[in-house]
Amino acid sequence: MIASILPSISPGTLLAGGVTATAASLWLLLPGGRSGAADRTARWLGWLIGIVALASFIATGHRLGNVGEEAVFLTVALVAVISGAATVVSRSPVYAAIWFAMALAGVSGVLLVLGGQFLGVATIVVYAGAILVMFLFVLMLAQPAGLAPYDRVSNEPLLAAVAGAVLLGILSLSIGRLTAEPPACCLMGGTKAALLADSPAAEPAAAAGIDMLADNHVARLGGELFGRHLLAVEVAGVLLLVALIGSIAIVSRGAADAESAAARRAMP
Amino acid sequence: MNPLADVVTPSPLVLDGLVVGAILFALGVVGILARRNLIVMFLCAELMLQGISVSLVSWSRHHGDWGGHVLVIFVLTVAACEAAVALVFVLQAFARTGRLDSAAWQSLRESNLSRTIDHELPAIDTVPLKFPKLSPAGVEPAADEDAALEREHV
Repeated sequence: MIASILPSISPGTLLAGGVTATAASLWLLLPGGRSGAADRTARWLGWLIGIVALASFIATGHRLGNVGEEAVFLTVALVAVISGAATVVSRSPVYAAIWFAMALAGVSGVLLVLGGQFLGVATIVVYAGAILVMFLFVLMLAQPAGLAPYDRVSNEPLLAAVAGAVLLGILSLSIGRLTAEPPACCLMGGTKAALLADSPAAEPAAAAGIDMLADNHVARLGGELFGRHLLAVEVAGVLLLVALIGSIAIVSRGAADAESAAARRAMP
Repeated sequence: MNPLADVVTPSPLVLDGLVVGAILFALGVVGILARRNLIVMFLCAELMLQGISVSLVSWSRHHGDWGGHVLVIFVLTVAACEAAVALVFVLQAFARTGRLDSAAWQSLRESNLSRTIDHELPAIDTVPLKFPKLSPAGVEPAADEDAALEREHV
């Protein structure tokens, strides 16, 4: 859509502009310890530049062909990305938690569009509980009256924004190169190419996508999980147990430390 | 044109999914680097994990392989463990310093790094919050105080 409006701009220029706009937008949006009016102006400007950055990334993106699919993907992806940005730049941790829940809704939509039916639902179910706990923590610990000083400043907001934008630019560039040419590994010799062509991983994506969208999706995923990856499931169970015991140990030890410190203070 | 090009080139949907994953990951990186609130830093780490999950599912779709989906399930598991341990650490840190500030632990920094100094921040004009109110409907019922006293359960 936007690419047809701006046919004269090359993809490289669009990407460079998008990266620059991302850096500027994040720098303006991150808490910078400004005064009230300046902070509001910076945030407005930041969101405006952020919209420009998003538009350039949408323009460099790839058309899906099907208008309905494209509209759905664009909607959920925008929800995920905008809510993710709002999570990062929210001054109040309470708002950050709420925006993160919204970002999860967007991510689960993206996963659904990409064919991860089980994962889309599991993300909502698992993280909804996690976010609820996070929310209770925020309510328990956050400053009840106004914002804490450390919520109003950032560590080096300009450098952090530039670093993130450069990382994003490198990732986008390498993703863009996937269409431009086959990776260097496949051009080296006949054997590697033949091996790639023979391996099941080299099946055309269309057939694979249809296979993945079969109606016994969850059963197949379960078969794969508890068949080929059974050992990993056992290890994950041990990991959960270790994390549980570890967190309980840290809590009880911390409580004992606090008690002994209080007893020492009470002694004359 | 390379004959392998139509084999290894991912579909547009896969590429767009990868871009979304990259954006989420980069946002999480910025948050981890810049923010000072421990809980917000934790949320940003989760945002990075979400970006990775989207990328994994995209590659899974490209290869027609369940490996990416299985890996995302393990990402969820490890994220749960990480949440448990990290929240305990946040609680302990809050109990010791009374703040959710990562700079409260700057005595642990490398010796060649400069100290984080908090300057006095300009005042923010606090806008009083406006909450919606329900308009009163109907007549207020007359409360019978004697009957209220005689009631066994409230």
